[in-house]
Amino acid sequence: MSDSFLIEYLPILIFFVIAGGAAIAAVAMSYMVGQQNPDPEKNSQYECGFEAFAESRSKFDVKFYLVAILFIIFDLEIAFLFPWAIVLGDIGMFGFWSMVLFLGILTVGFVYEWKKGALDWE
Amino acid sequence: MLYGIAFYLFAMVLVGSAIAVITAKNPVHSVLFLILAFFNAAGLMVLLGAEFIAMLLVIVYVGAVAVLFLFVVMMMDVSFADLRSGAMKYVPIGVVVGGVLLFELVIIYSGWKFSDAMELANPNDISLTNTEALGHILYTKYFFIFQMSGLVLLVAMIGAIVLTLRKRSGVKRQKIYEQVNRKASDVIEIHKVTPGTGV
Repeated sequence: MSDSFLIEYLPILIFFVIAGGAAIAAVAMSYMVGQQNPDPEKNSQYECGFEAFAESRSKFDVKFYLVAILFIIFDLEIAFLFPWAIVLGDIGMFGFWSMVLFLGILTVGFVYEWKKGALDWE
Repeated sequence: MLYGIAFYLFAMVLVGSAIAVITAKNPVHSVLFLILAFFNAAGLMVLLGAEFIAMLLVIVYVGAVAVLFLFVVMMMDVSFADLRSGAMKYVPIGVVVGGVLLFELVIIYSGWKFSDAMELANPNDISLTNTEALGHILYTKYFFIFQMSGLVLLVAMIGAIVLTLRKRSGVKRQKIYEQVNRKASDVIEIHKVTPGTGV
């Protein structure tokens, strides 16, 4: 591996630098430009006039977890699509139908979760 | 030169954030350090020429698995001080498990020989990229394994729904079909009421 290989990733580095710079600038500018008049009352926590009763940590509904798991599964399905899309011209009809069958299997699952109401938010 | 700098940068941040995962006081911070570790591992994969693996690390691990970890951490309805106070009694078994793992790693590493053909992550035909090489064999040569992975995903989907989906009673939901099919005659009764008798 040579340095010329890394040069190909220079645009990504530039994106990262610009994104990071913009994020830092947004915080730093508001800190520097805005007027700072700190005051104990201003800095105290405010939650509709009274102190927080409890920690923010509490039991979540497991529904959030279900949505995340279903998201991961379709995420993986999409990950399989990337190499397929690149080589679709080379692998012929068999490769095409192989992916259609794969998507079909997952569509069965999708129909199941739709009909079962796993995607509904009650 | 540039390659070496990039490698050591990624590797050092990876090891540093991995250490921070287990030493951070707040589990949420641990998960965030884990995400940083995933990103740096993806960077190392890019350096190896395995761009597809790097993409998978970012999409699957950072995008989805880390979110699940965060959910689990946030779902734990325990105070972390309590969790930490009883941790010392697990030290002996932790030392045993860690010692066995370290021993195995030492055995493997002492017997490890780097071959001259180091660029294992690359396809034999150097004109192909990593992703293309995978695509050429995954959907045709490894057709059955590919379909099996689809079935595994299907089982995971159904399993997650069966295990966690609970129907709550007493929730008002929209049922378009039933709502549209309602007829006035089904739900309204008309009574002739003569004065003084009631319905």
